[in-house]
Amino acid sequence: MLRKIALWIDERLHVSKIYASTAGHSVPASAESWFYVFGSGTLLCFIIQIVTGICLAFVYVPSANEAYTSLEYLNYQQPLGWFIRAMHDWGSNFMVGIMILHMTQVFLFGAYKYPRELTWISGVVLLICTLGMAFTGQIMRFDQDAYWGLGIGAAMMGRVPLIGPNIVHLMLGGPIIAGETLSRFFTLHVFIIPGLIIAVVSMHLRLVLMKGINEYPEPGKPVNKLTYEKGYEELLKKEGVPFVPNAIRKDLIFSGLVMLGILFCATFFGPSGPEGTPDPTQIRTVPRPDFFFLWIFSVLALLPEYLETFLILTAPIVGIALLFALPFLSGTGEKSYHRRPVAFLSVVVIYLVVGILTYLGTYSPWSPQMDAWSGDQMPVKYIQGRTPLELEGALVFQNKQCRNCHSLGGLGGQRGPALDRVATIMTSDQLVRQVLQGGGNMPAFGKNLSPPEVAALAAFMRTLRAPTESPVRNSTEPAQPGR
Amino acid sequence: MIVRRRRTVLLITIVLVVLVPACDWMPGRPTPAERWKPKSEIKDFNQLYAQNCSGCHGANGGQGAAQPLNDPVYLALVSDEKLRQTTAHGVPSSLMPAYAESAGGTLTSAQIDVLVAGMRSRWARPNEFNNVGLPPYSIEDAIAKGSGPGNPDRGATVYKTYCAQCHGEEGRGGEKAGSIVDPNFLALVSDQSLRTTVITGRPDMKKPDWRSNLDGQAMTPQQISDVVAWLASLRPGTEAKTPPEVKTARR
Repeated sequence: MLRKIALWIDERLHVSKIYASTAGHSVPASAESWFYVFGSGTLLCFIIQIVTGICLAFVYVPSANEAYTSLEYLNYQQPLGWFIRAMHDWGSNFMVGIMILHMTQVFLFGAYKYPRELTWISGVVLLICTLGMAFTGQIMRFDQDAYWGLGIGAAMMGRVPLIGPNIVHLMLGGPIIAGETLSRFFTLHVFIIPGLIIAVVSMHLRLVLMKGINEYPEPGKPVNKLTYEKGYEELLKKEGVPFVPNAIRKDLIFSGLVMLGILFCATFFGPSGPEGTPDPTQIRTVPRPDFFFLWIFSVLALLPEYLETFLILTAPIVGIALLFALPFLSGTGEKSYHRRPVAFLSVVVIYLVVGILTYLGTYSPWSPQMDAWSGDQMPVKYIQGRTPLELEGALVFQNKQCRNCHSLGGLGGQRGPALDRVATIMTSDQLVRQVLQGGGNMPAFGKNLSPPEVAALAAFMRTLRAPTESPVRNSTEPAQPGR
Repeated sequence: MIVRRRRTVLLITIVLVVLVPACDWMPGRPTPAERWKPKSEIKDFNQLYAQNCSGCHGANGGQGAAQPLNDPVYLALVSDEKLRQTTAHGVPSSLMPAYAESAGGTLTSAQIDVLVAGMRSRWARPNEFNNVGLPPYSIEDAIAKGSGPGNPDRGATVYKTYCAQCHGEEGRGGEKAGSIVDPNFLALVSDQSLRTTVITGRPDMKKPDWRSNLDGQAMTPQQISDVVAWLASLRPGTEAKTPPEVKTARR
């Protein structure tokens, strides 16, 4: 009886046919690999983002006045509201991270080559959409970081020739960052981009089904447009295995680990922000983009001024165009990264560059640390046994905010060199000259220091060396034994 | 049996998984203390001290370049009002900056009150000074109590008695301590700062206070005023300067 009902339903809904052509489709046995789990991992993250995002949307109020308060409500009052925020936050980090891994793997394994060009292109669209989600999501917090992030985005758009101001107006929903801006970004974050992602993901998966999962590449088996599809069919016949239950096993295990990872991070590290009210009068802020944009933050900080506009306007376009063009630039040939040194080295270089820029963005050594002068303690070893004048010099060092750029004992700004051993490098005269006239990147402090202050400062800095080192000597004076 | 044990383990796991997120102790849960607030609303002494004072006065109120604030002698000597005024308005023509918003600083008066109260409650030990005759804090107080103004000539003798053993015969520095007559040093410190240091020493660096420069012989308030007057007279370009109080008295 039950079987009859099931068959009746199946005849009308084609469940078993759909199953056979999706979950049951056969994949090369070599695709049953730990390297092939990142795509499903990204999808899982996206699903988590949808679920937690809907939960958040029950409470979140997309208005300039209430967005911030509703986040505080979620954080401190709504039971487990903070946990949902943390899940959504960490889910986005995991999604971007795993997506990048997925993309790297696809690139290194040559999976973008014929006949899977469109799969790659839809993947690039998904990459752009996901980064768009990350950026618009950061705006949802509508805190200081969001405010300044928008400000920077708008300033970049404003540099577009001729239509720059119009783009800014369109982006912000008016001439300034206000309630309209938030509504606009809310719509993007909640309707437009997720809708687009769902559509493109469907296409992405459909393409994977139609063109098959890339077989594990072997060196010496280049892709040839004439023979590839035939060879793939034969491969499936010879050693094909059904996706469910064979190939999906590792996907499920990895997805489970991702789930645990997100739960773990949410439990132990919690949500981020909100970082402070979006008040343009609050100037004592250190705004910072979310993790995945830190490298762009570094690039923008470190670019020479004359290159800024040019690169801001061209680099993203060129980069995205390159990604789109990739399957057409190298659509055939070797798949295995063992035979693609340029591809392999590009990945290494890009990872290193982005990694280093992200690291720099975390510490932003180019910015002075504005409260180091009053907050960063002088290492006790630089205080002990010093004369009254040298102690005054240490006070001048703090009071004149030398510390904001120069660290001592690892504390302080990193804009200028650390001065822990400056006495072994500069004589008293050189120190005084550097302080008074500046030079290199250092401003001149001559007008801000009285002669006694300069003398005290130099006296103090002449003590900055290891106990075993002697201070550098003025070479125009004859050396005296024992000094 | 094994099956049953497995079931128990499973049950416990499920209960844990369900209950754990509900617990308050989860480390990721944001606490109201972590809640962002504008800097002007921070009322926590430790935070305020770490941001504003520890650069010069040391992490725990001592072992910094400037006068230690965790010194019970100093805290017994100085009034709350004086502490508040110094924090708010700084010490003019010295390296102590003004912190009050009204004086160009960044702290509200409520925050300065927190700092003053915090220094008192953490580091003052008033009971230890019940039977100690503390010298007057300022030269004004000293004059009012008859132990001032100081006399530089007498001060030179006082110096030789109490200070020369460490700072050298002429104050140019000895084995234990550096020069205190260096013109640059004297140009950077106020008379009050000299007076405070003579009275309190630097306990965080094991430098004696006014009682223990000589064994069993504390400096008298008049001697303190004298030695400070002597030091001040060595300041370049100030030989002829007489204390304003004296001027007023002559008129």
